[in-house]
Amino acid sequence: MLIIFYHADCQTYSISNNIIDESDFYMMTKQMSQFFSRFNNEEDQYGVKYQPDSPEYRDNKRRAEILPILFDSENPRTNGKLRDMFIADVTSDEEHYMEFLGGEWFAEVSATFLWKNKPVSISLILTVEQENLGSKWVLTNVIFTEFNKMFPSGEMAEREKHFLHPMSHELDFFNIHKAFRNPQYIEYYSSKNYYPDYLTLFFYEIKNGNLTFENVDAVKFHIFQIGNWYFEVSWFNRTGHNAGWLISNLIYLKDEEKTSLLKFYQPK
Amino acid sequence: MKRIFLAVLMGVFMLASTEVKAQDISPERKQAIDSLALEKVRDLSKYIKIVGSKDTPWSEANRVIERVEELFAPDAEIGVSSLSSQKINYYSVRKYLERLMRLNYDKVEIEWYNIEYVSDLQRQPDGTYVGVITIFQTFKGYDKEGRLVYKDTTKKDITIYVKRKETQIGGRLIGFWDVLLGDMRVKETTH
Amino acid sequence: MRNIGKVLFVSLIALFLIGGTSSCNSKKKMLKQEYEMKLQQAKDDLNAIINDQSDLTLDQQIARIEEISNGDFNDPELNELIEYAKLYVKLAEEEKLKEERRAEEERLRMEELNNIPKTSLEDYFGKIAGASSISSANSLINEALELFASPDAIVLIRINSFGDYDRPTTAVEYLNYLKDSKEAKMRIYEAKYDDNNKITELELIKK
Repeated sequence: MLIIFYHADCQTYSISNNIIDESDFYMMTKQMSQFFSRFNNEEDQYGVKYQPDSPEYRDNKRRAEILPILFDSENPRTNGKLRDMFIADVTSDEEHYMEFLGGEWFAEVSATFLWKNKPVSISLILTVEQENLGSKWVLTNVIFTEFNKMFPSGEMAEREKHFLHPMSHELDFFNIHKAFRNPQYIEYYSSKNYYPDYLTLFFYEIKNGNLTFENVDAVKFHIFQIGNWYFEVSWFNRTGHNAGWLISNLIYLKDEEKTSLLKFYQPK
Repeated sequence: MKRIFLAVLMGVFMLASTEVKAQDISPERKQAIDSLALEKVRDLSKYIKIVGSKDTPWSEANRVIERVEELFAPDAEIGVSSLSSQKINYYSVRKYLERLMRLNYDKVEIEWYNIEYVSDLQRQPDGTYVGVITIFQTFKGYDKEGRLVYKDTTKKDITIYVKRKETQIGGRLIGFWDVLLGDMRVKETTH
Repeated sequence: MRNIGKVLFVSLIALFLIGGTSSCNSKKKMLKQEYEMKLQQAKDDLNAIINDQSDLTLDQQIARIEEISNGDFNDPELNELIEYAKLYVKLAEEEKLKEERRAEEERLRMEELNNIPKTSLEDYFGKIAGASSISSANSLINEALELFASPDAIVLIRINSFGDYDRPTTAVEYLNYLKDSKEAKMRIYEAKYDDNNKITELELIKK
């Protein structure tokens, strides 16, 4: 029924020997802006905005019909019970709308860099931050395996072997050289509250000329705005009516899980 | 020459220009701005057709390239990727159009679809409104025998900057919306 | 004033006719008086004509001069005045003819102008947008530019009724835009002209 509704008035263009169904382009969620707009039911099937005082605007009944088209229908994870639960929850009486300036949503930009002259893949995490009269995207974290390798979580038994005993101060810390003997374990000598700041490491490597940007490979979004739900939105470049920016992963999170995940995307 | 004149003219006007303080745009005015922005994008699609056409005389194509450059912010870039390679190639507006002009086909067909998606306008820190307009284009290149030798369909996401400006004309204060196109992403689709 | 004189003159003649039977001497005296008065009146009328102070129309002036010259006067001064007056009306007649010819020419010219199908600026907008070739569009642009004080005359485009405009442009840029976009979607909202009736500033609005 939904498909029929969305299909109305779409034209089929015949171009030479190929036929392009223009309805594909109507149905495609063409921008993240459109994803937000469709998620909230703030526009009609042609992408024309509803006036905020119109009855259609953010109408939950319509939302329940539209939301399924925002999921990747080819992935069982985003095409089953969990999805239906999500839709029921989002369209309940509680206000679950997406807001551009609402925070708790992140972009993950997978990019190729040259690290010491060999190509490496680094994921940049960005979020929208308000400033002066408007807003901008800012870097909040990076994911680079070389950095992670440098700070492995390590085995407890190993960690427990590396410390400065509590009376070291009486010895003028002459024993501190042990901390530097094996660079692999240096961070074990830090406080339990210590977390490596990968963004600082990243900037440091860029500034030293060890890392140079090459290309953006892919973009996806991580969204935490809707209650206890976490979902991922990815770009699906394919024909048919289920294309464009679609939900590619959906997880129900407990509060503490959400807090710790958010910490990963925005450590500070 | 004309362009230089206009630049000088506008430069003089801009001296008297002041930016309107932060203000929210009413839905009616926003609609007019959206249509104005959309008009610029439609103009761009027409210009691309003119530049791409093998029937356009060289002098006309060059004049049109200048007009297109005026549509864009000075540092705007065009990033192109194809299905075969994810790698994005970056071009200046002029380079992009000159490349289009030099394509080695006997006949070129450029078709634009009726779908235009206009994002919400968001403000950047300096108060300028930014939006993105998405359009779709099919390009076809034919050889001497009239055979279709190349075809692609691309999604074009075009940045638009909208800034409220004021200028004195004949002693009258004219408030206008300066719409400039910004970076443009050209991505091949599977269509 | 002269009319009063005429009335007086006619009255005197009447008086003369009524009292014509008085005596021969008085008759001669009266005739002489009448002659003098007529002569004076003729001189006054001619002077008025020569000095462009006559209330008579040109035709009446000609008739009056004719009347005077046919009158039984024998006065050298009057004869001279008649000559001058004749010359004056001749010149006046020529002047009048010339004036009539000019008016007729002007009338014909206006008629001719109105008969030529004049292309308005808005017509040019449509013609340029619909031109079949680049060269015909370009020649239409050149024609249309004739209507402007300068190719760089300011063109303002209203985008709504709230006093919002697009970025100001110029006549030549706008006309070229019509050629490129192949669409004439604007109509003239207001135009300002200079003393030569050329457009110095043009304001457009969506049709």
